[in-house]
Amino acid sequence: MTDSILEVRNLSTHFFTDDGEVKAVRGVSFSVAPGETLGIVGESGCGKSVTAMSVLGLVQRPGKVVGGEIMFKGSDLLKLSKEELRNIRGRDIAMIFQDPLSSLNPVLRVGFQIDEAMYAHDKIPKDQVETRGVDLLKQVRVSDAARRIKDFPHQFSGGMRQRAMIAMGLSNKPDLLIADEPTTALDVTVQAQILELLRDLNEQTGAAIILITHNLGVVAGLCKRVLVMYAGEIVEQGTVEQIFERPQHPYTWSLLRSVPRIDANRGHRLLSIEGLPPDLIDLPQGCKFNPRCPFRVERCFTDSPFLEQVAPEQRAACWVTMERAYAEMGAGNITDTSPGAASGIHPAGRTRPAVEVPAAVAESVSD
Amino acid sequence: MTDTVVAPAPMVSPGVEPLLRVVNVVKHFSAGVGSSVKAVDGVSFDIFPGETVGLVGESGCGKSTLGRMITQLIPVSSGEVVFDGVDITKLRGEKLRQQRKQLQMIFQDPYASLDPRMTVGDIIAEPLVNFRMISGRAKDVRVQELLRTVGLNPYFNNRYPHEFSGGQRQRIGIARALALNPKLIICDEPVSALDVSIQAQIINLLEDLQREFELTYLFIAHDLSVVRHISNRVMVMYLGKICEVAPSEDLYTSQEHPYTRALLSSIPVPDPRIESKRRLVELSGEIPSPLNPPSGCRFHTRCPIAQVPGICADVEPQLELKGAGHLAACHFSDQVRTKIAVTI
Repeated sequence: MTDSILEVRNLSTHFFTDDGEVKAVRGVSFSVAPGETLGIVGESGCGKSVTAMSVLGLVQRPGKVVGGEIMFKGSDLLKLSKEELRNIRGRDIAMIFQDPLSSLNPVLRVGFQIDEAMYAHDKIPKDQVETRGVDLLKQVRVSDAARRIKDFPHQFSGGMRQRAMIAMGLSNKPDLLIADEPTTALDVTVQAQILELLRDLNEQTGAAIILITHNLGVVAGLCKRVLVMYAGEIVEQGTVEQIFERPQHPYTWSLLRSVPRIDANRGHRLLSIEGLPPDLIDLPQGCKFNPRCPFRVERCFTDSPFLEQVAPEQRAACWVTMERAYAEMGAGNITDTSPGAASGIHPAGRTRPAVEVPAAVAESVSD
Repeated sequence: MTDTVVAPAPMVSPGVEPLLRVVNVVKHFSAGVGSSVKAVDGVSFDIFPGETVGLVGESGCGKSTLGRMITQLIPVSSGEVVFDGVDITKLRGEKLRQQRKQLQMIFQDPYASLDPRMTVGDIIAEPLVNFRMISGRAKDVRVQELLRTVGLNPYFNNRYPHEFSGGQRQRIGIARALALNPKLIICDEPVSALDVSIQAQIINLLEDLQREFELTYLFIAHDLSVVRHISNRVMVMYLGKICEVAPSEDLYTSQEHPYTRALLSSIPVPDPRIESKRRLVELSGEIPSPLNPPSGCRFHTRCPIAQVPGICADVEPQLELKGAGHLAACHFSDQVRTKIAVTI
């Protein structure tokens, strides 16, 4: 894709801690087209937030971007000086965070904080800043905006604070808005309002959005394309329909089956993913998901899979893929999700137990 | 708040006594001179042996306060909590301690609810030691058995909480709750601090333990999908009151309270085709302050079908039977499904 506004190539970010080198993001590549909505999903520690922080040059010691390129409008953000990066951050690329309260300065009025971003970048003529501040607050649907803009953050509710953050993010008409878990701290009815707002703003302003979340439902509602991350790598990417309807990586597949759905019939057992994500200091050999994967084969223990085309626009990093798991391992009706359960490949020296051990027990014994 | 309708449980055969009966429980926290936070404001319900009752609501609705009042971690302002035939709000000291033995709790935060200076073995054995039920070698055997029951390595008893992940810590909390063979476990947001892939492990474990030990659960959470999955009946709370009680099967297909319908329509589903057709019930504003709840129906300030001015602002609706085991507190519950169009 040449017409992308952001292109991340082979990004790696590590943290150099006393316990060892935490390889938080390893070889991540993706691009964002103008106006696109891209979701990055994964669990805590999968590297989704570190990826976003790396893009904005916000990774702090002991973390360091150790490799890759981040091309934005033709220049590599990793090669820019702090000053040059600061001119892009908040102007061309904006970010909103999970916790709107700690992202706002409690002793400054909300309006001042929205205006500050515009004064800092000189993109909006100075005499228009204050009226634009009120307009922005109206645009993010804060009622009585002209009066509320003079409030302090503590006078705003959680949902309103996040609206104020979004207003701030949009103030300089950015090309890209990175939203890191923007609704996680909010109640579900407020979450729905914020998501609808982001959807509308994407259509109105044309700003591309990268939405980072652990909530699969949130991604399904807002994003056109999805990256799934696990243990610091992208394990699958595709259109939102592909990821949710025909996932090819066992992790994506398992994640979708482990969450209770409000529209599902009751009484079925959730297919849990056994075990824990790996230690990023001491990663397993081969595929990083192999210690938890019901469909693993011998090769998964030795060779790291790489992202391969599995359908137009869809790529997965898996030696097996769900297509084969359905055809050869009966993935459609498995009940035992313990590692290697469907493929019959268990760790050396351990054969499949004759009596069915509750999956939960199997997990702890193995770690 | 005169007549209190208690939700019948349709799956329970007649004559079975409820294990827990909560009658008109109120909790007002003092908030300076002349004002109080009405956290729980007259709630009544029954829980029958062997069932799982879910309690959902948004932050500040009073669901956790209610859970804590049932275990008497917070004293009630008024009302009764009848557990196993005895009103525990009237008990003090040793009598309360003994009665509460079979009433345990699992907490939300697996990091804050385990003492970091105690070994896992000591944490799990503490209730046993507390009630002088067991000591010495038998204690170690029981701890190892409990660890195995919750899916942990039985030889981890000498380790400390920091050596465990969030999901494993939650298992330790569950083992501690199981130690005294309780009848009722109050689960207060037991999975909301956990990662998606770990949530399912804990939900499945709770379901397995219920079958194995004939447990009864009150499952408190803000995530309606999780609550509906695990519960036989679901109670929806708003601003200190229960606004709807329904069998889990009915809740998704037929809502009798506008708030429940709005809540359901807000939950994102991991299915892009459904999501693209989603229509939200637009609730105006956010939850009002429990310091000064709205008059009449507490939901009228945000309700899409409220008659204001009129009955909704003036008269507080009571929980009324709308179908088998299905209660709702709404003056216009017959219009909820026709007048509020949603795609859910």
